[in-house]
Amino acid sequence: MRPPQAAPSGAAPRRRSGVPPLRAPLWALARGVLLLCAVSVVVFAATSLLPGDAAELRASPGATEEQIRALREELGQDAEPWRLYLSWVGGLLGGDPGTSLVNGRPVADAVAQRLPATATLVGGSLLLAAPAMLLLGGWAGSARRGRAVPTALLTGGAAVPTVVVAAGLAALLSGALGWVPAVSLLPPGRPPIQSPELLVLPVLSMALPTALFGGGLLAGAVADVVGRPHVADARRRGRPPWAVAAVDVLPFLMAPFARVLAVAAGGLIAAATVVETLFGYPGLGSLLVSSIASRDVPVVQTVALLAAAVVLAGLALADAVAGGTDPRRRTW
Amino acid sequence: MVSRILMFVLLAVVLATAALGGWVAPHDPTAPLGAPWRGAGPEHPLGTDALGRDVWSRVLAGGAGLISVSVLAALTASFVGVAGGLAAGWAGGALDRAATALTDLLLAVPSLLLALVVAVALPGHTAVVVATVCGGAPLTLRVVRDAVRSISGAGYVEAARCRGESGAAILVREVLPAMKGVVTADLGLRLVVALQIASALNVLGFGPSPPEPDWALMLRENMVGVAMNPWSVAAPAAALGLTTVLLALSVQLAADRDPVAPRWRRRNVHVGL
Repeated sequence: MRPPQAAPSGAAPRRRSGVPPLRAPLWALARGVLLLCAVSVVVFAATSLLPGDAAELRASPGATEEQIRALREELGQDAEPWRLYLSWVGGLLGGDPGTSLVNGRPVADAVAQRLPATATLVGGSLLLAAPAMLLLGGWAGSARRGRAVPTALLTGGAAVPTVVVAAGLAALLSGALGWVPAVSLLPPGRPPIQSPELLVLPVLSMALPTALFGGGLLAGAVADVVGRPHVADARRRGRPPWAVAAVDVLPFLMAPFARVLAVAAGGLIAAATVVETLFGYPGLGSLLVSSIASRDVPVVQTVALLAAAVVLAGLALADAVAGGTDPRRRTW
Repeated sequence: MVSRILMFVLLAVVLATAALGGWVAPHDPTAPLGAPWRGAGPEHPLGTDALGRDVWSRVLAGGAGLISVSVLAALTASFVGVAGGLAAGWAGGALDRAATALTDLLLAVPSLLLALVVAVALPGHTAVVVATVCGGAPLTLRVVRDAVRSISGAGYVEAARCRGESGAAILVREVLPAMKGVVTADLGLRLVVALQIASALNVLGFGPSPPEPDWALMLRENMVGVAMNPWSVAAPAAALGLTTVLLALSVQLAADRDPVAPRWRRRNVHVGL
C-alpha cells in the first residue's frame, strides 16, 4: 500500500466531464451533416424559384412552347421538384454536379479550375487576420484604463462594409500611390501565388475587416480571462507580462479563438464574392455572382452548397477544437 | 457625455443629408454635364464620372435608397426577433427548444451567401430584407429571450400575474418596456449589418440598375477611373463608411449606458458578415 501523497499546492482535484471524449466531435459532425442537408434544401428551393428554367434558357429565341417542352423533357427537367432534388443530391454525392446551362461545360470542371484562386485568397486572408485579431483583441481586452478607445476603434472598424475597405485601399494603393494594379485579372491556369502583386488588394481588403471584427469579439474573452484570479496571482508573483500572456491567458483563449476563426472564415467566404467581383479576380466568388446574373442554376447550386459545406465544417471543427483545448478539462 | 452628444448629432446630420440630399443636389445626378473623369473644380466640387455626371450630386442623392432599404430590413428583423424572443422566453419548454434549434440553423449560414441565393429568385430589396431577417432575427431572438427569462422573475411581473393579467398584456406592458435599451441597441446592430448586406448586393449588381445614383454602385462603376478622379471612388466610400461607423459607435455608446446590454454583447459572436 502506497502512502498517501500530498497534492501539490494549487492543484484542485480535476473534475472529469461525464461525456466520453469521442461523443462531442461525433455530435458536432452529425449536427453539421444535418444542417448541410437543410441548407441544400434551401439552396435548391431558392434556385427553383427562378423565373425561366434550363429549357427556356437553352432554347433558341424563336422557339415555340412545344419545342421548349420537348427540350425540357430531353433535359430531364419535367419531373416533380422532389425528384429533381433527389437526383441533384445523388449526382453531387456521386461527384457529378451536372453541366452549366450557359456553356455546357461540367460544373465540376469550372469549380476545380476556380477553387485554387479562392482557396489562396481566403487562406491568405485568414493567415494574415488570425494573428492580427489575437493582437488586437489582447490589446483591447487587457487595457486596464481607457478601454473605450480601442473598443470604439474595433467596433467602428468592423462596421465598415467590405466594399468600402476594398474601394478605399484601391484608391490609396493603386490610385494615389500606384503600387499595385487595381484589377486582379489572373491569366487562366496560372496559380495565383505566382502573381503576388495581384493578391495584395484582395487579401488586404478581406483581412482588414476580419481582423477588426475578430479582435472585437476576442476582446471580451481576453477581458474575462485577464480578470480571473490566477492571472492576478501570476502578476503579483512578478511573472513578466509576456509570460503571463503566453502561459496564463493564451491557453484559455483557444476555445473562443477557434470559434471566432470559424465565424471569420465563413465571413471571408461570403466577402470573397464582393472582393473577387470588384477586383475581377477569377475565383469561386466571382463565378457565383456571374452565374447568378446569368441564371446558371447548376453552378449557383454547387458553389453555394460548397461554400455552406466549408462554413459548416469550419464551425464543427471549431466546436471540436474548443472542447479539446480548455485547460480545465486537461487530463494530463 | 460630450462625445455621446457629438456622436448622435453627427449621426443625425449624416442620416439627414443622405435622406434629403437628393433635393439639394446642385445638378441632376443622372444627367451627363461635361467631360468624363474631370478632377475636382469650382463647377464640380468632386469632379465627374465616366459619363461626365457630377459626383457631388450623385453622392448627395445616392444614400437614400440604400438607407431606406436597410432601415426596412432592420425593422423587420428586429420585429420578428423580438416577437419570437418574447414567445420563446415566456413560454419556455418545447417552443423554446424549437426556437433555439431554428436559430442555430439560420446562424450557420453567412447572411451574404443567403442574400445572394435569395437574390437569384427575388428582386434586390426583398433579398436584403430576407437576408437581414434570417441572419439577424435569430440574434435578436436570443437576446430578447434571455432578457425575458431574467425579467420574468421580477417582482412587478409576479404582481401583474397575481392581478390576473394575461400573458400577452404582461409581455407588452411590463416586460417589453423593461428591455427598451436592449431592443434599441440590437436594432442599431441589425441596421449596421443590413447596410453591409445591402451595399454588398448593390455592388454585385443585384440592387438598383446603373443610371440610378447609389453609393455602393458608384464604387464599382468608378473603380476604372480611380487614377483619373480619385474622388469619384473616395467620396461614396467615405459616405458609406461614415454612416456605418457612426451608427455602430452610437449603438455602442447607447449600450454602454444600459446596464443590461454589456452582458449580452460579449456573446454576440455572429454579429457581422
